[in-house]
Amino acid sequence: MKIIVGILKPDAGNIQVLGADVAKDTTAVKKMIGFVPESPRLYEFLTGIEYLDFVADVHELDAASKQERITEFLKALDLEGRENELIHGYSQGMKQKLAIIAGLLHRPQLLVLDEPLNALDPRTARIVKDLVHKLRDDGVPTIFSTHVLEIADAICDRIVIMYGGKILEEGTAQELKTKAGSPGSTLEEVFLKLTGTSDIREIVEALSR
Amino acid sequence: MNPRAIYKLAIVLTKSQLRGYQRTRLISRILGDPRVILAANGILVASLAFLSYFLLARVLPGDVRTAVQEIEVEALAGIPTAMAFAVILFGVVVEISQPVQSMGTDLINWLPISPTEYVAGSTISLSYTYSFMLSLFLGATLGPAVLFDMVQIWFAAAVLSVISLFVGACVVEMLRALTNRISSSFYRKSGRSGIFVRLFLTIIVLVFFQLMFSGQIIVYLLQSVIQTVRAAWFVPVLWPSLAVLGLSQGSILISSTFGILSLGFLAALFLLAVNFRTRFWVPIPVSIKLTTRAYRPQGRVHTLPGMGTVESAIFRKDLRSLTRRREMARFLAIPFVLVVSLGISLVPLGGRSFPQGPGFFATIPLYLMPVAIFCAIISMTSIGQEGYAVWNLYASPIEARQLLKAKLLYVLIMGLPFAVGLLVILGLFLKVLVTHFLVLLSLGMVVVLEVSAFGLYFGAKFPDFRETIRSRYVTAWGSMVGVFSGLLIAMITASPVFIASLFRPSLTDQLAVLAFALGLTVFFVGLKLAEHQTRTLLQSIRT
Repeated sequence: MKIIVGILKPDAGNIQVLGADVAKDTTAVKKMIGFVPESPRLYEFLTGIEYLDFVADVHELDAASKQERITEFLKALDLEGRENELIHGYSQGMKQKLAIIAGLLHRPQLLVLDEPLNALDPRTARIVKDLVHKLRDDGVPTIFSTHVLEIADAICDRIVIMYGGKILEEGTAQELKTKAGSPGSTLEEVFLKLTGTSDIREIVEALSR
Repeated sequence: MNPRAIYKLAIVLTKSQLRGYQRTRLISRILGDPRVILAANGILVASLAFLSYFLLARVLPGDVRTAVQEIEVEALAGIPTAMAFAVILFGVVVEISQPVQSMGTDLINWLPISPTEYVAGSTISLSYTYSFMLSLFLGATLGPAVLFDMVQIWFAAAVLSVISLFVGACVVEMLRALTNRISSSFYRKSGRSGIFVRLFLTIIVLVFFQLMFSGQIIVYLLQSVIQTVRAAWFVPVLWPSLAVLGLSQGSILISSTFGILSLGFLAALFLLAVNFRTRFWVPIPVSIKLTTRAYRPQGRVHTLPGMGTVESAIFRKDLRSLTRRREMARFLAIPFVLVVSLGISLVPLGGRSFPQGPGFFATIPLYLMPVAIFCAIISMTSIGQEGYAVWNLYASPIEARQLLKAKLLYVLIMGLPFAVGLLVILGLFLKVLVTHFLVLLSLGMVVVLEVSAFGLYFGAKFPDFRETIRSRYVTAWGSMVGVFSGLLIAMITASPVFIASLFRPSLTDQLAVLAFALGLTVFFVGLKLAEHQTRTLLQSIRT
């Protein structure tokens, strides 16, 4: 994901994002992408609103767009009334919400979300999931990483199962279940089968002794 | 109380404290092992004792020996008090230097450790961490003690200094619990003004700390401190020193009375520290509302002249960082520390008057050195101060040139006023001629520019974004190379004027123009290098 976003150099090969070469045209690619890292470290000495204002300025949004987008998102994600507090005092969930807003503020053409639902309350998680769907319908694709396979099953059109840094399988949820030979099972069971880590019962037995 | 838990906790806290300062695995492993520290302390005491004994007995002339003999008792009596104050000061400064993220002791909170065990472990760890200072003092005084037959007094001083070390550690432990609590409550109530009050207090503490360790000041204060110790018998922190003084005067009764009182004082402080920890166990992360105004974007009006939106945004963020992050206060304290240090060497001290003001040639390094050091430090650290949040820059559409422009402005906004202010102070102190003042001003300005540009280059080449246990900003190697290069650049730029002032004073003005042009060239070269290095940095994450 870091290579797609242009913050890590690939050992080999190159990546094209929406027609632009990440290595050659990094700044242009970054303008098109909205990125939410796994554990976003924000500038804790800024207030929530100052942080969003900073991100908006870096993406060169005009004043009217800034006002509209920031106000809208703060309200939608229940941060309204807390935006003038230092981020240092925010809960993990509030920081995650702020990172998500920062990733979406500039109307990206591609979303790269690394475990974006971490620490979110059910309402906000639902908003984010529905937003991802809506953006997809509007032509904005999302690359979404998660360890919670129910989430992948629920919102992803196409799933890539990775284990130990290697791609094991890819396809729709249904295709993966069929490939694993158990069309009626959950994605979690498919994963365990594909990765050969289905010795769960023995492990639980051993641990509960 | 579980002694094993205390021991384990002390080891863990000591390791985390010591390893936080080192990067390489080998050095951190060595320094992180308490047994190695203990052995190193022993070696330090023995070697210093041998060295001081050898110097006094064999090398130094007789009158020096007599002078040392006269102050040996005072030095031994001073060690316990000095230790307590040093630990408190170091403790306060380290607390200040720690970023907010690594302040919490909350890791301990969910482990089955009682406040008493925690305070015991923490004070042992603090004492152990600062034991090098004690070894330094004890080693330096052991040689004279053997030579002048004062080993008994030295031994008493050593034991009482350990007590003082723990006294200091208990005070730091209390301060930690209290400051977390107070700053939480204070912050919550005071908001924005609280930030500035804290900044101001931090700067005062840092300047005071610097003064405490100024050689000239220490020499000046030594005798008056001992007189104070004698007079202020009612101040508990001085009791260990009074016990040593009592022994040196042959009064076992006074010595043992103050010795027992010192132990009682330590016990009382320990109980108080436990009480504080029990009450303020978890540092509460506070939410501070800085304003109640609704959000109104600033738009293009607030874009700085000559800068785009991106540069202005980064610059504004950095300025906020400077005033709001408590670990940044040390950078704001540097100008004050440098001015005070310089002032100490210029102002007549302790009845001794300083020689007549130095000639112009001596004023050049006197002025340019602090300017170069300050600019090198703030520019080198300006990149690394992004800390773990640097991904925000990496992931944003920011060009190297934009980042560099913002950082350069941030550095110049501090460097240029400092250079002018320092020159005004120097000019007043040394009665510098107007023409010389102008020459120095032009040199100062150009040194600020070139050292800042090269500082940014080294900052981008050797950034250290780690924030645990303390913020680093730049690697140790990078900071050494950066400061050295800054001084070298300043020296080379000023050399035409310096040489002229020594051999051809009539050519000073012309050569000042040459130096200015040379400096500007170096500045542009530095900028190019810094831009290239910043581009490389932005292409590869380095946290």
